[in-house]
Amino acid sequence: MRRNLTAYLFLTPVLLFFGVFLIWPGITLFFQTFQTGGIMSPAIVVGTKNWERTFIDPLVLKTVWNTIRYCLMAIPVVFIIAMVLALALNSVRIGHTAFKTIIYYPTLQPILIAALMFTFVLHQDFGVLNIIMRAITGNPVNFLGNESLAMPTIALVEVWKGVGFWTLLFLAGIQNLPRDLYHAAELDGAGPFRRFFQLTLPLLKPTFFFSIIFATIVNLQVFDSIFILTDGGPFHSTASTTWYIYRSLFTFNEPGYGATLSFVLVIVVLILTALQSFAFRDRN
Amino acid sequence: MWKLIGKQRNVVSLRPTPPVITVSYSVLFLAAIVSILPFLYILSTSVKDTQSLFSYPPEWIPEQLFWGNYVKLFQETSFLNWTFNTIFIGLSITILKLIIDAMAAYSLAKLQFIGKHIISSTLLMAVAIPVAALIIPLFFIVRDMGLLNTYWALILPALANPLGIFLLRSFIVSLPDELIHSARLDGASEWRVFTQLILPLISSGLVVHAVFTFMLQYTNFLWPLVAIQTETRQVLTVGISSLKSNFVVDWGLISAASLLATIPITILFIALQRFFLAQSLSSALKG
Repeated sequence: MRRNLTAYLFLTPVLLFFGVFLIWPGITLFFQTFQTGGIMSPAIVVGTKNWERTFIDPLVLKTVWNTIRYCLMAIPVVFIIAMVLALALNSVRIGHTAFKTIIYYPTLQPILIAALMFTFVLHQDFGVLNIIMRAITGNPVNFLGNESLAMPTIALVEVWKGVGFWTLLFLAGIQNLPRDLYHAAELDGAGPFRRFFQLTLPLLKPTFFFSIIFATIVNLQVFDSIFILTDGGPFHSTASTTWYIYRSLFTFNEPGYGATLSFVLVIVVLILTALQSFAFRDRN
Repeated sequence: MWKLIGKQRNVVSLRPTPPVITVSYSVLFLAAIVSILPFLYILSTSVKDTQSLFSYPPEWIPEQLFWGNYVKLFQETSFLNWTFNTIFIGLSITILKLIIDAMAAYSLAKLQFIGKHIISSTLLMAVAIPVAALIIPLFFIVRDMGLLNTYWALILPALANPLGIFLLRSFIVSLPDELIHSARLDGASEWRVFTQLILPLISSGLVVHAVFTFMLQYTNFLWPLVAIQTETRQVLTVGISSLKSNFVVDWGLISAASLLATIPITILFIALQRFFLAQSLSSALKG
């Protein structure tokens, strides 16, 4: 009995904050989906009105699709580049730490700063990339003002910023692999490509599974770069679900509707992560 | 010497072959340039006046250094306030979180109690909750507590994130049980075991946790944007972004601000590089 008490005393502060600032908001979120108002005036219960609107609002589907589309662009690209960089880092000795440091550096900076920097780099009139484009093709490209280019551009900014994190994660995975297997493979005459595809990749499966789930949870909430670079435009082509939640609260002054959108986001995240966990467990 | 290496090579060596090394270095040089170039670009923009900003062909290194952007940043914006707020809030969260997470981690790693499994799996599952979806209810909870526009609005909710507990737990789990048992036999209370035995042994884990908590706060954007409306109480990320929403976008000013905002985290990075690059993070997160 005393044992239990001590253990719970150690857990009390965490459980307190966890309950008040994570579980309680989760519960009130559900009730808020049936309400309207609350910022200027007291909240009023409106029944299922928010939910009915959610199902007919074309922008909801669009933001969910945009968010998933963004993940499908950003996650594979960042993983492939990070894997290549991790392999490259793994095979060099001289300058290893220096390269690791430089590649990791953008990850340290707020995505906002990355987004601002790329606003200049991509700017139609004086951005460095467009100065180069103009020199080559004669025409500048409006990366962020073009409906089909805006989302890939956002994904690219996020990749630039995130690649250092995944590189170090994959490098750690590679360096923890059992070395004797590689010795055996080399004795069998397996070249670097065969070693990579038949040894490294299969052995890194647990790292990949964890990484994909983690990356999905984080990237489905994409907001900062969109808020800075496009604010959802042009024509809502980069409007993510989190962007719509934020706008419902502050621009449209409709917290109830925003709560319903938040609920949609929670459901999307839970379904996708559950599907992934299920798929990965099956194969292991 | 050469013979020895040659011999090793014939038997087996995991030394990469020269073509592999060449390709690796080319890839890494390219990645390093792509990583650094945008920073140099804003450095160059920050020391240009408006006229040379739009000059064509562009001046990569301006002939005349223009410090006006930096002067304006300190005189006309709340940049110093934002920097102080960011560091103060980041440090407060880091210290508080380190204490409560270490306590919880010790309990979950080494103490036996009823409900342990339920608590640890609830905390773990909560990692999958998208915090962006909680900003609306959180906004009202913090408002009803009367904490909007205060430091508390940013500090308290950050303490609810359970991820760090699992990082620290993985460090504590690997400590031998006999160590704790013998300390208990010597009559040490659980609190003494925790503070005098466990904490010193997991110090590197604590630093990794601290570094990542601070970094996460330093880069936090959405919640400060929602919870703080007073301009002088804002954090760096939101403060700098507010410079962009003015009617005329002052690129030089934003560049100067962005560049200066990278300095505090860079200093921390240089001082604690070993822990930023710690491989233990990945293994701990998986465990």
